[in-house]
Amino acid sequence: MKRDHRLLPYQDTCGGGGGGSGSSSGGSSSGSGSGSGGGYSMAGNGKAKMWEETEQGAGVDEFLAVLGYKVKSSDMAEVAQKIEQLAEAMGNVQEDGLSLLASETVHYNPSDLSSWLESMITELNPLPGFDSSSTFPLQPQPIVEDAFLAPEESSTVTSLENHQQQNQYKQAQIFEDSSDYDLTAIPGNAVYPQIQSQPPAPPNKRLRPSSASSSSTTKSSVPVGIWGLPNESTRSIESTRPVILVDSQENGIRLVHALMACAEAVQQDNLKVAEVLVKQIGFLAVSQAGAMRKVATYFAEALARRIYRLYPQNPQDSTFSDLLQMHFYETCPYLKFAHFTANQAILEAFAEKKHVHVIDFSMKQGMQWPALMQALALRPGGPPTFRLTGIGPPSHDNTDHLQEVGWKLAQLAETIHVKFEYRGFVANSLADLNASMLDLREGEAVAVNSVFELHQLLARPGAIEKVLSAVKDMKPEILTVVEQEANHNEPVFLDRFTESLHYYSTLFDSLEGCGGSSSPVANQDKIMSEVYLGKQICNVVACEGPDRVERHETLSQWRTRFGSAGFEPVHLGSNAFKQASTTSLFVEYFSGVKLKIING
Amino acid sequence: MTKRALDSGEMEVSADEEVKRRKAEECTAFVNLEEDMLFEVLKHADARTLARAACVNKLWRRTAEDELLWEVICTRHCATVGCGSQQLRSVVLALGGFRRLHALCLWPLLKKARWGKDEISLSLSLLSIRYYEKMNFNSRGPR
Repeated sequence: MKRDHRLLPYQDTCGGGGGGSGSSSGGSSSGSGSGSGGGYSMAGNGKAKMWEETEQGAGVDEFLAVLGYKVKSSDMAEVAQKIEQLAEAMGNVQEDGLSLLASETVHYNPSDLSSWLESMITELNPLPGFDSSSTFPLQPQPIVEDAFLAPEESSTVTSLENHQQQNQYKQAQIFEDSSDYDLTAIPGNAVYPQIQSQPPAPPNKRLRPSSASSSSTTKSSVPVGIWGLPNESTRSIESTRPVILVDSQENGIRLVHALMACAEAVQQDNLKVAEVLVKQIGFLAVSQAGAMRKVATYFAEALARRIYRLYPQNPQDSTFSDLLQMHFYETCPYLKFAHFTANQAILEAFAEKKHVHVIDFSMKQGMQWPALMQALALRPGGPPTFRLTGIGPPSHDNTDHLQEVGWKLAQLAETIHVKFEYRGFVANSLADLNASMLDLREGEAVAVNSVFELHQLLARPGAIEKVLSAVKDMKPEILTVVEQEANHNEPVFLDRFTESLHYYSTLFDSLEGCGGSSSPVANQDKIMSEVYLGKQICNVVACEGPDRVERHETLSQWRTRFGSAGFEPVHLGSNAFKQASTTSLFVEYFSGVKLKIING
Repeated sequence: MTKRALDSGEMEVSADEEVKRRKAEECTAFVNLEEDMLFEVLKHADARTLARAACVNKLWRRTAEDELLWEVICTRHCATVGCGSQQLRSVVLALGGFRRLHALCLWPLLKKARWGKDEISLSLSLLSIRYYEKMNFNSRGPR
């Protein structure tokens, strides 16, 4: 929203202490008239352009004046805050409360918005010590208390004036962040829920404070969270706001709404609003427990990265991400199950073959292959000769990671008397491969295996097609692919966001169930699994273009893609099916997760 | 066969040398079975009994932990995974043995499912993974 620059000098003089909302520091550089005291959120009125002169009175905000409300510019923040409080109070109040409002309350002239709000709030929530403009940390203000026991216009106005200066100053303290956006968040209850230290006994109650507020004293005894953005001073946060407490379920709903709203704002490139919301999310997230908290924190971080353009650098070092995937493998049964199923399919494809060759696009620690080797060793008629070509990214320390893994597998093979040959192949990207590099021999049956690798190729156009044609050149008996069943590659950001929020929430929920034993190893595994998923979240939400490699697609999308590349789907044989159901039993037992086999 | 009975048996023995020897020869207490007899008896035991038998005394433990007995337990209820028993034996012994297979992989699974070929093959997979992970741990450098 752009305001006419002519207005600027006028408002600066009238705003008085209003400039203290922090935007005066660097905000005016953005040119959209930040001089009026107290940022206010979506005042995107088109009327801004039309209205060129202020109305009566010094320092009355001209936007609201257009609408018929007289509010001092310097009071803007407070008024907004009170509106929020009123909304909360009305939400919390019981049925009869509202009708009482209609009949018994004395209403003040709503054009004096500030005091009208004051009166409404105290009608609904007459708790002494409830100080909507308190600026001092935890000491109740004797002056103000009286004012709220019996709402009177004059006293409220007085208290307002008294505290106005300090309020502005307090606000200045908080919003020190030097962002370019001149929008400063108004600390509402959603953002700064505060714990009411002493619930006072309210006299003359016409209304009972609703059960929500009393029970929430116990429930939301969650400390105000410190969310890791720079320049946020949290001490001053705790001192500013009084309380209408909301219980954590409502906070949960708010959290989801805030996440969606933030994503929408980002989608519409409305970064000011998004920034406000993302801070809210940070605080709301802390009020939750368990999986929701973690998911929300990761998503909030990813959104913040997107907003502030602090893109995560994709680390070149793959050993850390391999390590994370190992922990995920240990914690959750999903990957194990996927390996088992893939192995079963490969075994069936290799039935009766004397020489087999597996090409693994996702070598990593080689966790899939001991089980396959064991199954080959126990094949009736004896094991075939087993060749394994492992493909991986270059390592950045001096260790030859691929060779180490190969060495371990070779030792295992020797132990169980399987003739084994290994070759490690380093490639920056799978698209660099072609069949001739792989030393394919006559008379051997080939299987190609890829776990969580193919979706990364979708980041670059043409890569997946190239890889699939290379695979076809290898003439495999079977191609086994493990991918996440999710739709995180929509062109529209908001769709991606919604999908991934749903997907990762479910995943984190199941992680909570997976952490069976409470041994420190299991705990570490669980935490690292969360980090592993968090990195994916960050990539899906914050990155774009070739950096966004977590491009998950659904089963049907992959099917179509493979079909058009000339591959035919192989149905799980009855043996594989049986093993799958056994595995699913196993999985259920170990982690309480139920598995469903879709589409054979 | 409780421990208390065993103790009292031992106390009897320590009382008098001559009486001891004579009594030992005449003693037909189950706990004093010879190893071979014990082995034959335990062949018919189920997993639980076998495991408990290993807690009785050193001789019993030695016998009850014999891989052959556990092989019987693991393969008793169904045909093996399709290969010959020698083949199975060599692989399983290399990967840690039947007792470990049962304790770590089969036993937890069987709480929820019945014996079947697939349960065994799944357990074998888990055994091999476990073996591989242990290898990892041992040969990992300072990391």
